[in-house]
Amino acid sequence: MSIELKEHQQMLHQMVTDFAHKEVKPFDMVIDKQKSYPKSLWNKIINVGLLGLIVPVEHGGADFDAIAEAQTIYDIAQKNASVAFTLEGHYKTVDQLKKYGNKNLQDIYLPQANQRIFGFGSTEPQGGSNVMGHTANAVKEGDYWILNGNKTMITNGGLAEVYLVLLKTAPNELSCFLVDQDMPGFKFGKQEEFFGMRGTPVGEIFLENVRVTNDYLLGKVGQGVEIGDSAHYDARINMGAIAAGICQHALEIVIEYANQRKAIDKPIVELFSIQNKIAEIAIAKQNTQLLYEEAAKLKVQKKLYDKVATMAKSYGSRAAFSACDHALQVLGGYGYSTEYPVEHLLRDARALQIAEGSLEKMVIEISKAVERDRG
Amino acid sequence: MNLHIVVCVKQVPVSNNVKIDPVTKNLVRSSEPGVMNPFDQNAIEAALKLKHRYGGKVTLISMGPKNFEITLRQGLAMGCDDAILLSSRAFGGADTLATGYVLSQAIKALDKVHLVFFGRQSIDADTGQVGPIVAEFLDWPQVTYVSKITPLSEEIIEATRLMEHMEQTIEVKLPAIFTVRSELNEPRYPTPRNIQLSYQKTIETWDEHSMNLDLNRIGIKGSPTVVRKVWSPSKPKKMTQSLGRDVDHAVQQLLVILRSQNIL
Repeated sequence: MSIELKEHQQMLHQMVTDFAHKEVKPFDMVIDKQKSYPKSLWNKIINVGLLGLIVPVEHGGADFDAIAEAQTIYDIAQKNASVAFTLEGHYKTVDQLKKYGNKNLQDIYLPQANQRIFGFGSTEPQGGSNVMGHTANAVKEGDYWILNGNKTMITNGGLAEVYLVLLKTAPNELSCFLVDQDMPGFKFGKQEEFFGMRGTPVGEIFLENVRVTNDYLLGKVGQGVEIGDSAHYDARINMGAIAAGICQHALEIVIEYANQRKAIDKPIVELFSIQNKIAEIAIAKQNTQLLYEEAAKLKVQKKLYDKVATMAKSYGSRAAFSACDHALQVLGGYGYSTEYPVEHLLRDARALQIAEGSLEKMVIEISKAVERDRG
Repeated sequence: MNLHIVVCVKQVPVSNNVKIDPVTKNLVRSSEPGVMNPFDQNAIEAALKLKHRYGGKVTLISMGPKNFEITLRQGLAMGCDDAILLSSRAFGGADTLATGYVLSQAIKALDKVHLVFFGRQSIDADTGQVGPIVAEFLDWPQVTYVSKITPLSEEIIEATRLMEHMEQTIEVKLPAIFTVRSELNEPRYPTPRNIQLSYQKTIETWDEHSMNLDLNRIGIKGSPTVVRKVWSPSKPKKMTQSLGRDVDHAVQQLLVILRSQNIL
């Protein structure tokens, strides 16, 4: 960490490192092979209070800031990226409830965010990042909103019990609502089967005449695009942290292997070609870490962090994939074998180039932000 | 009945590279970042379980320099209620006897205490003496090396002592002192919320004027132990050797090694 953690953040870091080592690491291979999110592990994550990491103290949470949040995601991602990815999906949703939820909604749902997993639904089958092309909608009827439509590709979809969803409230207007799986008319759809990040469920939800009061509207009518962007920017800091965690995981595997594996009576770590790859993985991790930590710091300082957060995701996702490719090459046949973790790290890392906005979209957003900051 | 349980905790160095004061031959405690003595975490877990069952509160006590506060905060983050740091230059250089004396006087100064927990020993000095010394000063029964606790009532606890070649199960009437082994329980993690809240709590600092102390019995003056020499034992020969991931190759190498040592 390039940022010096405060003493209480350091204690949190120690606790999360310890927890990840003892509780998450043993599930790393199991999660990928069984494509599951082990209930026993998630019960421990909930019981130890990690869901409430950023929930305010007055709502029963721990109220840690974005720096501690990113550090936590990084510490867990080193042991299993998809567990960190699920937490990231929860945190970005809780963050929007903190920023845009009205007091009544916060009083009901922020305490629940300590125990129940949350998810954010913006994508629809017929429209990805082009949110204005969406059809799911909310119509005002007296004191209520009637919500209809479906959202897909939701990180934590199927596992999460509470969702923030972006719905059309006018032809060119999106608004954000909170929905709960217990509401009449709420249904789960299909679960995606993915190439990597197999411990993070991604799924679909359907809303059929779900009736909510105005309290369930986040922010104002028409503020949906802003809330969606805010969720993306918050998530991208943690995407960088996951990318750096994957790099560190790969680095540890490579260093251990390269010290043990011998070629002509000497460990392969002494070969320049292997040292070159170790250096590339270490640089990938360090650069990614500098970017997401800077973004987290800007967020804590209440400065614009969208550009650097997007850079952390854009650079980190490519760097992590490349780092895992180097790691796989060092381990050779063992790297390509499903008996060893490197190939699943490579598959996990690939998800980071797609989730929270494609790399192609990142280019547009970063270049626009560069222009903006130029004045 | 609400139990008032005290847990005495110690901060120990993170690494084995401890510094020794060349004059007093004591550990230089302010030079190294520290962590809570691992057995003390078992002591805290035992105290919190009893509190959960019978109600009451758990007070942490530690003796040492100001930087021991972080260890007390860790205990608060595990769920303890209060923490007191016994800290003064006058306490410096204390051996186990002087330490036990100050701790026992601190316990006497608290509201009625029913139970005191210690870890079985600290991993830096490894004496295991302080718990029993405190018991003697308080004139309370002591149960050392505890690996199992079964409360029979609010006043009587059945405890199993696990020693090298035997187990002993006894009943003890409170107030009493227990020193606990790691086999007793799995310490809980500090929670993020409790970590945050622990930094909002005030840790009381007590010096030699906060308790009723005989000043001749504290610090170096109260410590009859004289350390004549401290040295590092020579490093043991490397005992482990990795033979790599290739099983065929590893087996061949293993055979060669076993034959070379006349084991096969």
